[in-house]
Amino acid sequence: MVLQDVKPTRSELINLKRRIKLSESGHKLLKMKRDGLILEFFKILNEARNVRTELDAAFVLATDKINLASAVNGVVAVKSTAFSTKENPEIELSGHNIMGVFVPKINSTGVRKPLYERGYGIIGTNAYIDETADAFEDLVEKIITAAELETTMKRLLNEIEKTKRRVNALEFKVIPELIDTMKFIRFALEEVERESTFRLKRVKARQQ
Amino acid sequence: MDKIWGKKPRKSDKKKKGTSNYAYAVTRVRAMKSKLLPKETYPRLMNMGIDEITRFIQESEYKNDIDELAMKYSGADLAEHALNRNLALTYAKLLLITAGEPNYLISEYLRRYDIWNIKTLLRGKQYNASEEEILETLISAGELTYTTLSELAAMESYEEIIEALNETDYYPLLQEEYDGTNLAYIENELDKMYYSGLFGVIGKPRSKDRKLFARFIKLEVDAKNMGTLFRLKKAGVEQLDEIMPLMIEGGLELNTEKLASLPYEEFVEALRKTRYWDAISGVMVPDMDSLTGLECRLLKFSLESATTYSHVSPISIVPIMDYIIYKNNEVNNLRIIFRGKEAGLEDELIKDQLVVI
Repeated sequence: MVLQDVKPTRSELINLKRRIKLSESGHKLLKMKRDGLILEFFKILNEARNVRTELDAAFVLATDKINLASAVNGVVAVKSTAFSTKENPEIELSGHNIMGVFVPKINSTGVRKPLYERGYGIIGTNAYIDETADAFEDLVEKIITAAELETTMKRLLNEIEKTKRRVNALEFKVIPELIDTMKFIRFALEEVERESTFRLKRVKARQQ
Repeated sequence: MDKIWGKKPRKSDKKKKGTSNYAYAVTRVRAMKSKLLPKETYPRLMNMGIDEITRFIQESEYKNDIDELAMKYSGADLAEHALNRNLALTYAKLLLITAGEPNYLISEYLRRYDIWNIKTLLRGKQYNASEEEILETLISAGELTYTTLSELAAMESYEEIIEALNETDYYPLLQEEYDGTNLAYIENELDKMYYSGLFGVIGKPRSKDRKLFARFIKLEVDAKNMGTLFRLKKAGVEQLDEIMPLMIEGGLELNTEKLASLPYEEFVEALRKTRYWDAISGVMVPDMDSLTGLECRLLKFSLESATTYSHVSPISIVPIMDYIIYKNNEVNNLRIIFRGKEAGLEDELIKDQLVVI
């Protein structure tokens, strides 16, 4: 707020006082929200870290399994067996609220299938194929969990960043400026009061 | 068991007629076998890098196949497709140089590739795979030629494919049973049909060579059944009526019905009394996380057993089958080394998968 634009009136002072009070309570609330979000973030961070480690391990295992199956059966056989996939896994997206942040909840169906429901014949395939399918089912499950947690984390981080910016703006810019303006108006009003007292005294002295 | 000998004649039974040319065919096959890689080659290949192995394959019997496919593929894909192409051409050559009974027996044995191709075509159509994708996964080593398979792959739907197969033995099963949703069942039935057909063709074996041929197939059936039983038990399938439809009839030693009804520990205990125990005991641990080691041992055992008696009956189907096994094994071993090396698998793991006979 540029001080020159401010009208040093009593109503402006009352307005400013009201705004300062509102900003301070907003600042307090936002600080509480930021701390709450940080707490939530750290809670999810540990979980996400574990899931990411598991995801990396699942990816390595799945790669090893498919490499071994491709070596033993041939890529041709692995590809052909993959064609027999009957249905794709389905993903259902819903969400919930963490302190005003909408985070996703991913529910999946049809990722893990029993051996006899995978769509390929049992007799013409072997354990290399089964174990590759197992490993990839596990990998997809881990990807879904990681996607949910990491999106939650990303959204929380964005919100923390946004809240932090607001808190800082209130704390270091808005509230100090309002206080400065209030001080300026108060000073201006006092000045006006002093002037009018002095004027009254001069008028009184002239009359005497 | 008796019911699987001498099944009703198949459409292709006409091939049985004609003069058998065992002497000529076996001589040609011996010459072909001499060109196979000796077993000392594999340790050498294991010490080579990918480029060296590619070079090695390019200078071997696979040169033409590599040259033909080099425009389309590269790296391990090139090697795999070249190996498959060579295998298909070798089997086609076997069918060309044989006549009468050996031709009939070989073509029946190679029906496994026809079944593989039919399964791939149906899988591809179910998945809506492109014609190109389907063609890449076909191996025309059976009776169905590449041209026929290409035509089938170009068809719009599985119904058209089934209709186009109306002259084959697979038609009744496909036409009556396949409804577009039960592919796994059809695949299993096709595999069972293959073995029952093969046993039907071998007939009640009387001569030494037929007995050996039958023994090889029975060993394969036992190995397959045992692998399937392990897989199902690991997956928690316990119901007899769920397991038995997945068993192939005609194995050498295993009583599948009895084994299927046993809980896991007793099942393993029952296997101790079979000839397969020595082969698999090394990988048997109480909690089997992976069954790949077991399947690999079973494959090694059945191939080693099949080739042990190859010197018996020198002018018969035995040396020809022996060559088919060796050739298939060579292709498998080369692919395992190539793919394994390319994927960076550990040397020990690659070596474990190789069957050096």
